[in-house]
Amino acid sequence: MEYVIIGNGIAGTSAAEAIRRLDRQGAITMIADEDEIPYCRPMISNLLAGDIAAERLAIRPSSFYDDLNIKPVLGRRVQSIDPAAGKVRVGDSDLIVPFDRLLIASGADPRISEVPGSQLPGVFCLRNRSQALDIMAAAEHGRKAVVVGGGLVGLKAAHALQSRGLQVVMLIRSAHPLRLQVDASAGRMILAKLREHGLQVLVEAEVAAFEGSGKVLENIVLADGQKIPADLAVIAKGVAPAAGFAADGPIGLGPGGGIVVNNTLETTVPGIYAAGDVAETMDVARREKRVNAIWPEAVEQGIAAGFNMAGRRVAYRGSLSRNVMRIYGLDIMTAGVVEPPAADDSYEVVAVTDKHRDIYHKLVFRDDRLVGMMLINGIEQGGVLLSLIRREVAIVEKKERLLEPGFQVGKLMPQYFK
Amino acid sequence: MKQVQVHPERCLGCMQCMLACATAHSRTKSLFTAVGESPLPKPRLHVGAGSHDEGFPNRCRHCDPAPCLLACLPGAIFRDPDTGTVLVDPDLCINCASCAMACPFGVLRYHQDWVAPAAKIVAQKCDNCLERQHEGLIPACVEVCKTGALTFEESDEALRRKTREVARSVSMGMEEQPLIPTGVQLLRQAKKQRFEMRCR
Ligand SMILES: Cc1cc2nc3c(=O)[nH]c(=O)nc-3n(C[C@H](O)[C@H](O)[C@H](O)COP(=O)(O)OP(=O)(O)OC[C@H]3O[C@@H](n4cnc5c(N)ncnc54)[C@H](O)[C@@H]3O)c2cc1C
Repeated sequence: MEYVIIGNGIAGTSAAEAIRRLDRQGAITMIADEDEIPYCRPMISNLLAGDIAAERLAIRPSSFYDDLNIKPVLGRRVQSIDPAAGKVRVGDSDLIVPFDRLLIASGADPRISEVPGSQLPGVFCLRNRSQALDIMAAAEHGRKAVVVGGGLVGLKAAHALQSRGLQVVMLIRSAHPLRLQVDASAGRMILAKLREHGLQVLVEAEVAAFEGSGKVLENIVLADGQKIPADLAVIAKGVAPAAGFAADGPIGLGPGGGIVVNNTLETTVPGIYAAGDVAETMDVARREKRVNAIWPEAVEQGIAAGFNMAGRRVAYRGSLSRNVMRIYGLDIMTAGVVEPPAADDSYEVVAVTDKHRDIYHKLVFRDDRLVGMMLINGIEQGGVLLSLIRREVAIVEKKERLLEPGFQVGKLMPQYFK
Repeated sequence: MKQVQVHPERCLGCMQCMLACATAHSRTKSLFTAVGESPLPKPRLHVGAGSHDEGFPNRCRHCDPAPCLLACLPGAIFRDPDTGTVLVDPDLCINCASCAMACPFGVLRYHQDWVAPAAKIVAQKCDNCLERQHEGLIPACVEVCKTGALTFEESDEALRRKTREVARSVSMGMEEQPLIPTGVQLLRQAKKQRFEMRCR
């Protein structure tokens, strides 16, 4: 059996390990752009902050490829896939790799900025280790930084640059940060906290251009004409599935631009699988196909894809959007549907606030199922709530009880554990 | 292998286990001096109220596969191969709370600890008192539990013992043996009734 895996991120890595648990003989080739030992992508922001050394990013031993008897083809990009012939073309070269089973685990690419000047040196993205190192080098000489985007990566980038001693301005299009994760009241709480910690945040700000004389970035120009001086800028406008090489073949893409998979992680083409940030899966809370580009999903999908590729049928239960972040003195944990559609009365919202402890907790139910949560501070029991969402159990007690102080797993009725 | 077994139906919520746990994980290992330590030692298991306000001891189940271990970003959570215990390496932990999001039992907490790098906040959870076990002692929470809500035994032995207890409690001719000691039953009943009165 010839297995080929595109990408050495956590989805590809987890899949390779799962395959090897079942199949010691088959040949595994991993083709990946980044010439690295598998490393922890989320921790590049800790690297940028100066909290950890670059060596600490690796999450597998340097003998990883040897240990698992994997043929690594690193520093090369897959250009195209020929599903009918069962072949992958690497680069624009002659290297053609045949496969019996293919896993696409190419992750996601940062959304780039189309505005003039976004190619200037000093304008960065934060997606991989080498970009983090480039930003660190630029920050050595810089004093002022701008972060474009108020999502999770934007916040982490801003926090990291502040830790490096830079003055940071964050530009966000919406009225508050984390627009995709939290509602407006939580957004206002978070905004106030960021400002308290010395981050300058401009809301409803649209970037019109990156401006520089010669080869260095000097200003970010906003649509209203305002100019913000900056030595470096990080663009964090979210990510899109890295599925370009599959765009005009028979492999089906979904509305989110990801590669659509079924509950065995197989794409619309038999023998070809996808997992991680590139895959579009059934979201258990929303009940629709969605790209949930998060680490724990990439792990689970990678393992499930690997088992299925090696012949053990395992059913993947579907994905759930979820995030946790402890930053700027706030603990934020969110999952599933946080803002239900207003017109739909099958949804019910239960919320509590505690001004003294800076707590705002909100649960979203669809009929008798919990389908979403948003916890601002007091996140210890978030995993219990999240497991109720993931397991799609019918909630039998009064919904408010799940948010009472002292709630923990022992409060739940025993029927949840059958 | 012997494991800590939890029998919530016997818990009275006295929280002695929490105190014993915090002491066992202190630098000085004595309650008298532990209370003066900085950082203040904290328990790894948590007694909360159950569905009817009875006691409920909640500790790490050392699941296999462990959701926290799979979700851990820096690879700080690992399994001790000899005992199956799921442990956190405080040097590697980055305090991201990914484990709290993954744990369906809500047992993770984040605070300083004397074995962690100074002033660093790290994920904390039950470690099965491996250090005590090395010295031939049983886990501190079990040692101190007076009602048998926490026991240290093989899991099939625990199951057999429970079966025996149930059988005995319904068998005629045997010496009368209530399933749960009468005192424990009474106290739990009282808590439950109080709860129900409040709900009315
Ligand atoms: C700064 C930052 C912080 C984050 N924090 C969190 C967090 O706290 N929690 C969380 O859950 N998630 C977080 N994430 C997201 C998380 O990192 C991703 O969900 C996860 O890494 C996805 O893994 P993957 O294997 O699917 O893809 P990736 O890690 O993107 O790996 C894909 C690999 O494939 C390579 N590749 C792409 N195209 C090709 C090609 N054509 N040929 C060959 N190779 C190719 C890429 O170069 C890459 O190395 C964070 C991300 C960033 C950038």
